[in-house]
Amino acid sequence: MNRSTLLRGLGLAVLLAVAVATPFLLDPRGYAIRVVCLALLFAAMAQCWNIVAGLANQVSLGHAAFFGIGAYTSTLLLIHFGLSPWLGMLVGAVLGGIAAFLISLPTMRLKGHYFALATLAFGEVMRVIANSWSGLTGGPVGISVPFAPPSFAMMQFKETRPYYWLMLAALVVVTLVFVAIRRSKLGYRLRAIKENADAAEVIGVDTTRTKITAAVISGMLTACLGTLYAQFQFFFDPDTVFGVASISVRMAMIAIVGGIGTAAGPILGAFFVIPLEEFANDLFSSRAAGLSQLVFGVLLIGVILIEPRGFMALGSRIRRLFGKGGRP
Amino acid sequence: MAVLQAILDGLMIGGVYAVISIGLTLVFGVMGIVNFAQAEFLMLGMFVAYYAWAWLGLDPLLAAPLAFGVVFLLGAAIQRVLIRRVLKAPEVAQIFLTVGMLIVLENAALLMFGSGFKSVSTPYQTSSLQLGPLFISVPYLAAFAMSVASGLALFLFMRASWFGRAMRATAQDPMAAKLMGIDSDRMHMLAFALGVGLTAFGGAVILPYLTVSPTVGAQFVVLMFTVVVLGGLGSVAGAVVGGLAVGIIQSLSALAFPIQLQNLVLFLVFIAVLALRPKGLLGGAR
Amino acid sequence: MKPSDRAPRSLNRRQVLVAGAAGAIAAPYLIRDAVAQGKAVNVGVIMPLSGANAQFGINSRNGVELVADEINAAGGIKALGGARINLVVADSTSNPTTAANVAQRLLTQNDVVAIIGAFASSLTIAISEVTERRGVPLFTMSFSDQITSRGFENIFQVVAKASVLGKAQFDGTVAIAATAGQKLEKVAIMYEDTAYGTSQAGGLRAGAKAAGVEVVMDDAYPLGITDVTPLINKLRSSGAQAVFPVSYLNDSLQIIRSMRQQKVTIPAIGGAAGYVIPDFEKGLGEYAEGVLSISPANYDLDPALTDRFRKRYGYFMVHEALEHAVCMDVLAQAMEKAKSTAPEALRKVLHGTRFEGGWTKAMTGGAVQFDKTGLNTLSVPVMVQWRNKELVTVWPSEYAKGKAVWTN
Repeated sequence: MNRSTLLRGLGLAVLLAVAVATPFLLDPRGYAIRVVCLALLFAAMAQCWNIVAGLANQVSLGHAAFFGIGAYTSTLLLIHFGLSPWLGMLVGAVLGGIAAFLISLPTMRLKGHYFALATLAFGEVMRVIANSWSGLTGGPVGISVPFAPPSFAMMQFKETRPYYWLMLAALVVVTLVFVAIRRSKLGYRLRAIKENADAAEVIGVDTTRTKITAAVISGMLTACLGTLYAQFQFFFDPDTVFGVASISVRMAMIAIVGGIGTAAGPILGAFFVIPLEEFANDLFSSRAAGLSQLVFGVLLIGVILIEPRGFMALGSRIRRLFGKGGRP
Repeated sequence: MAVLQAILDGLMIGGVYAVISIGLTLVFGVMGIVNFAQAEFLMLGMFVAYYAWAWLGLDPLLAAPLAFGVVFLLGAAIQRVLIRRVLKAPEVAQIFLTVGMLIVLENAALLMFGSGFKSVSTPYQTSSLQLGPLFISVPYLAAFAMSVASGLALFLFMRASWFGRAMRATAQDPMAAKLMGIDSDRMHMLAFALGVGLTAFGGAVILPYLTVSPTVGAQFVVLMFTVVVLGGLGSVAGAVVGGLAVGIIQSLSALAFPIQLQNLVLFLVFIAVLALRPKGLLGGAR
Repeated sequence: MKPSDRAPRSLNRRQVLVAGAAGAIAAPYLIRDAVAQGKAVNVGVIMPLSGANAQFGINSRNGVELVADEINAAGGIKALGGARINLVVADSTSNPTTAANVAQRLLTQNDVVAIIGAFASSLTIAISEVTERRGVPLFTMSFSDQITSRGFENIFQVVAKASVLGKAQFDGTVAIAATAGQKLEKVAIMYEDTAYGTSQAGGLRAGAKAAGVEVVMDDAYPLGITDVTPLINKLRSSGAQAVFPVSYLNDSLQIIRSMRQQKVTIPAIGGAAGYVIPDFEKGLGEYAEGVLSISPANYDLDPALTDRFRKRYGYFMVHEALEHAVCMDVLAQAMEKAKSTAPEALRKVLHGTRFEGGWTKAMTGGAVQFDKTGLNTLSVPVMVQWRNKELVTVWPSEYAKGKAVWTN
């Protein structure tokens, strides 16, 4: 027991060291590092989603709302007040948390598909607002992050490496939060709700408060990642950061493909889905329009048919197959 | 008068919303699957009707049964090959299987039919009936009439035929239905095929006033969800109420708010209804 | 002589570097490029080939392909020793993040000397954030004002900006109505709430304000609208004498048909996009006849050139195809003049040259010249009118191929 914990810790440390060192192997202004950055970012996003969906089985399809709030808040504060995106990120996190609280009020009683669809509608509400309130957001034409001399304080860098470490740090932080929640009383309560909400209520779990707490944490972290995205991409519009397909569904898809409810699932999922999308685009998009997306869709269906609970479940299935037992 | 006109327009458009959404609610009712790809079958129905018009000179309203038939068969095959295998899988796997189907269908259509927006031209497309100061658009009226007809046909089928009754039995109590000798697998296939077929039928009847392209589904997907959730997922009568409600809300909100905010109003109503009646307007009545 | 030798060699070296780094992802490219090596200049073409704008993306790709093939057939880039143009086409989808990724990929793995794309403004802007940081020229016909207003040095916009287009849509209409003896006093504006719709509507508003014309209706509507009846109800009771719809095809057909249904007979003057493609006429048939629209360019300004497109692809050369063809031609001319594919050399030539001849003849102004911001200062929008399944330029008079017909 002690030895296996030690080994696991050592393994994680090595993995992290490799992750930190990876950019030195990549062309600092190249394509590969950019794809890896996005994979890290989306892994972190899927991990945020995992907090509510994985632990409490509240499948949200509206997380783009928080992501977009984060992206717009820090960028608007930067444009109008020259505020450092680091501070903007904090303000965005607060607003993202408030938004998560507000949407939790009407939706916390909802279950399953109803919850998914209500959150989907909430994401769309935010997109329509961002699109229509041009005075604040610039409307459908989108906004650009103003150019600043590269510096850590302004979260702008000339090369891609610092972004990589930023994204990696974000992923580590979000994953630690996820693991901490899972191990805490909050995690215990969330699991109780997941198993049976009514029974949880009976044994004295304040389900309302538990759900809202998890939703607010998830919303705040997602908003922070929105800021990172804005600083990395430099330009975005409402359809991009509040998009159903581009953000909400993709976050969920990554976590599901990897293994919902597990800490490693979103990371595996992101490092499968994001490079796969790029690879499919790379190979097929010049041959016939739509082929790359088609291939991507077919692969997604294939993964779900082979193992509906994602790669993590597939992994333990294989381990069992080879008689190594694996954890139950 | 503007209000009356808005209600009239909303009613007609709502009838269409009802028919295209019935399929979604039917599939959920019988097998508990929310099909995110449902709107893609609307797109396929529109394409069938378009090519029936372009190659055979058939009016889309007459081609609607053809669209129903073609997509019915496709739906049966999809149920057999894909959906059947995730019926017992976790909810999220079901959702994302249909998301995968959405991506595949949209892009397969792009490969097969090209990216252009296609439109039929029919003689009644630009005509309207005038009732005093009120205008009734003929293509809207035709689509509405066809929707009512197909809705009634479905109603009769569900009530009067053995298949319909068996399907309802499967939806209400799968175990009991099985004990009665109903093959639930076949019922699922029938329900799914019927569901996507009806949506395709709806696609064909709206073609005279819309255009079809591989991405047309995206314009309807959230709308269809709103309709079925307002009415209560799984309830066919609910889809009719939801469809009419959505049509009228959309139409009336355009009088008071900028049209840009049309969907905003709709979604807020949607969230509010869910908050107050988590199972939809007619939820629990099924 | 020397520069042409240098380009391929540096290309190889960099590619080896990338190959070592990117490993598996890069592998398929090395094989493909090795074949195309020899004497070739890679040019990136990034377009929305799938998704809602796919049709326009494909039209645009066709335009670029036509010109590239013509140049290759005529012996390639002569100043580079007859180097062939090798187009590297990629799908941006409708997602700016993907567009930027694709741009990065083409730059680092295919060593493209320039990028042409990507029709939709949001995609173009996302790409420009990548190309600007690598100092590689980006050619576009996206007309958002934002494109050349950010002080970027490596972006080249070959058409007039959206605000100019919107104002011309208004001014041209007033002029045409005045010729026919009608003075416009009340107009209506309706536009889809996209980057294109909102920025062009801004131009329309500015035009109306300058002319002292009252805007009695000014409504945005969501992209992908499925029921325009409320809009037309509003239009009917607004008392407008003309309406300016700024929309893609789906909404433009709905708008014109609904107007017919409700017996709203005032002229509708389209805002390019959905109003100036063959499908508009196919969808509306006789009702398309006489519809006016603004357009950033039109194929009838030089039929000798644009008929080649019609011959190859079977439809008239839509404006986005034409403008992207011009992008390709200007790039080729710049390489000839710079005798190099180095970004700095290209940029210098692009900023300091008046490009004439070739496809630039098909543009208004008959040439292309970029100012400091990268905007082509010679391009002015034209008014076109549907006549017998073709688009005829009717305004301004110096470009008109026919007389405008105004029905009120």
